[in-house]
Amino acid sequence: MTLETEVQSLRQVPMFRDVDPARLKLLAFTSERVQFAGGQRFFSQGDPSDAAYVILDGRANVLLNTPGGDIQVAELGSNALVGEMGILSDTPRSATIMAAEPTTALRIDKRVFLELLAQFPQMSLAIMRELAKRLERTNAQLVAQSSS
Amino acid sequence: MEKSLFRYIWTHSKRDQMIVCAVVLASLPFYFMSLDLPRQIVNQAIQGEAFRDGNPTAPFLNLSFDWPGWLGGGGTWEIFEGFQVSRVGLLMGLSFVFLFFVIVNGAFKYWINVAKGVLGERMLRRMRFDLFAMVLRFTPEALRTVKSSETATIIKDEVEPIGGFIGDAFITPVFLGTQAITALVFIMVQNVWLGMIALSVIAVQFTIIPRLRRELLRLGKQRQLASRQLAGRIAEVLDGIEVVHVHNAYGWERAEIGHRLFNLFSIRLKIYNRKFFVKALNNFLAQLTPFFFYAIGGYFALRGTLDIGQLVAVIAAYRELPPPLKELIDWDQQRLDVQVKYDQVTQHFAEDRLGPMLEAREAAEADQPLIGPLVAEDIRIAGSHGDLIVEGGAFAVELPASVALISNGGAAASILARILARRSLEFSGRIRIGERDLTQLPIAVTGRRIAYAGVDPILFPGSIRDNLVYGLRSKPLGRLKEDRQEMDRRIAEALRTGNPIESISDQWVDYERLGAKDENELDRILLDLLDKVGMGDTIYLFGLAGRIDPERHTSLAERLVEARHRLRDTFQSNGMADLVEPFDPVRYNTQATVAENLLFGVPISDEFKGRNLAENAQFRGAMDKAGITDDLIHMGLQIAETMTEIFEGLPPGHSLFEQFSFIGADEVTEFEAILRRRGRDEGSLKREDRTRLLSLPLAYIEARHRLGLLDEAMMGRIVEARGLVREVLEKAESAGVEFYDPEGICAAAPLRDNLLFGRVSYQVANARARVAEAVAAVVRDLDLQEEVERVGLEYQVGTAGRLLSPQERASVNLVRCLVKRPDILVIDGALAPFDEARSQQLMQLLLDLFDQQSLFMVLPNDRQAGAFDVQIRFRDGQIITNKTAASAPRPSSPEPNAPQRIAGEVA
Repeated sequence: MTLETEVQSLRQVPMFRDVDPARLKLLAFTSERVQFAGGQRFFSQGDPSDAAYVILDGRANVLLNTPGGDIQVAELGSNALVGEMGILSDTPRSATIMAAEPTTALRIDKRVFLELLAQFPQMSLAIMRELAKRLERTNAQLVAQSSS
Repeated sequence: MEKSLFRYIWTHSKRDQMIVCAVVLASLPFYFMSLDLPRQIVNQAIQGEAFRDGNPTAPFLNLSFDWPGWLGGGGTWEIFEGFQVSRVGLLMGLSFVFLFFVIVNGAFKYWINVAKGVLGERMLRRMRFDLFAMVLRFTPEALRTVKSSETATIIKDEVEPIGGFIGDAFITPVFLGTQAITALVFIMVQNVWLGMIALSVIAVQFTIIPRLRRELLRLGKQRQLASRQLAGRIAEVLDGIEVVHVHNAYGWERAEIGHRLFNLFSIRLKIYNRKFFVKALNNFLAQLTPFFFYAIGGYFALRGTLDIGQLVAVIAAYRELPPPLKELIDWDQQRLDVQVKYDQVTQHFAEDRLGPMLEAREAAEADQPLIGPLVAEDIRIAGSHGDLIVEGGAFAVELPASVALISNGGAAASILARILARRSLEFSGRIRIGERDLTQLPIAVTGRRIAYAGVDPILFPGSIRDNLVYGLRSKPLGRLKEDRQEMDRRIAEALRTGNPIESISDQWVDYERLGAKDENELDRILLDLLDKVGMGDTIYLFGLAGRIDPERHTSLAERLVEARHRLRDTFQSNGMADLVEPFDPVRYNTQATVAENLLFGVPISDEFKGRNLAENAQFRGAMDKAGITDDLIHMGLQIAETMTEIFEGLPPGHSLFEQFSFIGADEVTEFEAILRRRGRDEGSLKREDRTRLLSLPLAYIEARHRLGLLDEAMMGRIVEARGLVREVLEKAESAGVEFYDPEGICAAAPLRDNLLFGRVSYQVANARARVAEAVAAVVRDLDLQEEVERVGLEYQVGTAGRLLSPQERASVNLVRCLVKRPDILVIDGALAPFDEARSQQLMQLLLDLFDQQSLFMVLPNDRQAGAFDVQIRFRDGQIITNKTAASAPRPSSPEPNAPQRIAGEVA
């Protein structure tokens, strides 16, 4: 697996869909590819947010820490982006991510990511568009819930 | 130092100056002879005066003196009647005698010059040392205004010309003066009138020129001060570079320095104008005399009152005259110049800026422990603005005790701490410890028995160990074994120049005094203290990053390979094998750079490091031999293409560039040009282009950069090339690379690499932390921790300790005080860099360590003061002492008075 395949994976991520390919290459090049063993944590709930991950290969579970123990709320597969909200909003991890099987992910360092955003407005716009879409979806869901 | 430079020179080099002067005088007769010979050659041999009476032969080397009439003589005293020779024989004979004198004069000159140089160099050494000794004596008040860089410039640069002059100070006037007088006398003897002309022109030269040069001296003094200030200013900017960056003061600083340089230039310009005018005038005057000689001397010769031989000799003698004269005038100029410089130097080291002479090596008299009643009476401390900080203060403490000096927000506590530590003598009143006056204690005693740790931990460049034992190096133990002859020479020179005779290679640390047998035990003490102040882990990490010296760390070196195998076994058995990719002589390491894979070792010399490798002829030769040069260049092209593509649009100097790119921001355009050139005509790259491209893949790590440039086949060829590189380097006996050996240690690689003997995987999450844990476990199991930490003691702290964090600096400073085991330790703000929890722990540690000795500590408030035996507070200029009621009596020194006093109160 090389940089090119990683760029292909990044293109599948909605947030990066509109980003210029050369920038995605830079993003991939400045990121690290890391392997997690099954059961190894990407990070734990409450940790400081230092990076976002794109799953290249494998699966990971999203766990929430509750008084009754960890409960699984979602499962992530290939090309899923995780941890990006934490590095954008500068808040601690809101959930634990644990590899469900041997998993390879691209680790995007927070500092590098923010510097890229600061440098390339087009990239920031793509991110904003994606965030706006999410907000819109959430609003729609709220409307749907309140009207039901 | 003496006020007058000449007195200083004379006091310290009388003997040598006289010897050289004597030799100069001894050389004069030979000089005179060599002046007289041309006349003889022309008159006697060429014009044939000796054969005037038709004699076929004439005496050669006839030595005889005519007794002057007034000595009752009239007769001739003949020592040697000489050889009878023909005309050609006489010419040849006289010419060879001339040659002989030329050689003798040359030999004299050589000896005199060497002797002068050595003399000057010795005096320079003495002067520099004297000045440095005075640097050590600067009073605290003077130090507030003295700039370190200016002082350094003075000792290094400004005294240099003085040193050069010293050799000439007495000898030049003697030598040149006598030479000039000889030449003048010679001219006088030939013809009085010509002599008088020469003399009057000289008189004019000697009166006018120095007058004109006075202005030059004034300018010279200005220039000296201006350039000294420039040096000081540059050092200031450098020291305060952070403020310059923070406040973006580049423009102002640039203009400031530019202005100073302009000033220097203006002064220089004035100096040049003046200097060369004086020079031109001087040259003119010097050429005036030959004019008279030709005109008047020629006239005499035509009239027949002066023979041609005499005229030739006079002109020849006069040609000898201007150089000594010119040099004499130069000497005079230099004398004034150097005297000015010397005055400037002595002003910088004026008596009132210096403290008393240091008697650092005083006899061990009165070196008793500093215990007993500490009594201070009638203490009066004035602040720097004349305000009274303490007036009529008094206190008494029975030492040893732990004493808290509680600050009232003012400076009183700190000042008292400095007074107790003997850092300051600016107070009036009496402080006695037992029978002894604190201010009268010799430095030998205070240096050993009192330690002071202030806010600013001052570290010297060197290793952590050097800094820790700094306080233990009070005197050498004389256990140095050095070559007898070398030692005698070194000591003789030191004695001649007033320098110290101790050698720094001697053993200066007295291990026995610290209860240690040798260096190793001292290390153990140091490590124990560092661990106690919480720096143990840091030292361990420094050790892992450090390099081992197989000579010094023998036991560690022996067991390192064993530890390496144990670590490998641990990785295998714990399923961590994929965390570290080991160095294997026959396999490519994907976690290491291409250069590392090619060298399979660690570069020692710079020509094998980084990109220089691409220019190294031996390495290039090996690459060509292995036939992979073109492949590497092809890789370089691919890297250059990718880098220019993906870093496009990032401004130069962006941190991402620095951190990730193979290509520096300033090189991008060059590489783009290379790529364009190649695009135009395939395959014909210039030599420099090839070298540049070759340098790129050297830093490429497949696992990290993931450009997919290396396939299995290429990796195999690189491993093959590895053998060739080694072969070529070993054949050339190049010591540039130390190769890896699975069964041996590589002294050039950090200890960590020697343990791992491989590279931690970039791809496995959290690999570094897990590997570090495993390493720590193995090091602990094999009981190597102390050895590793010992390597850590060699960590270099950098200029002023800047390679350490503030906390580390403070820790080193503290341990430096602790290892001395002082009777009295004074702490004033040394714990400031630590957070509150750490500083409380450290305070408790100090209290525990010093339960047998005295501890004085400045505290910002009395929150922690309860832990101390005695609290000293400051209120309205008074000193108030409290004893902690619950203070447990000290086992070593139970206070004899305490029970009685209590009894008294009860009664």
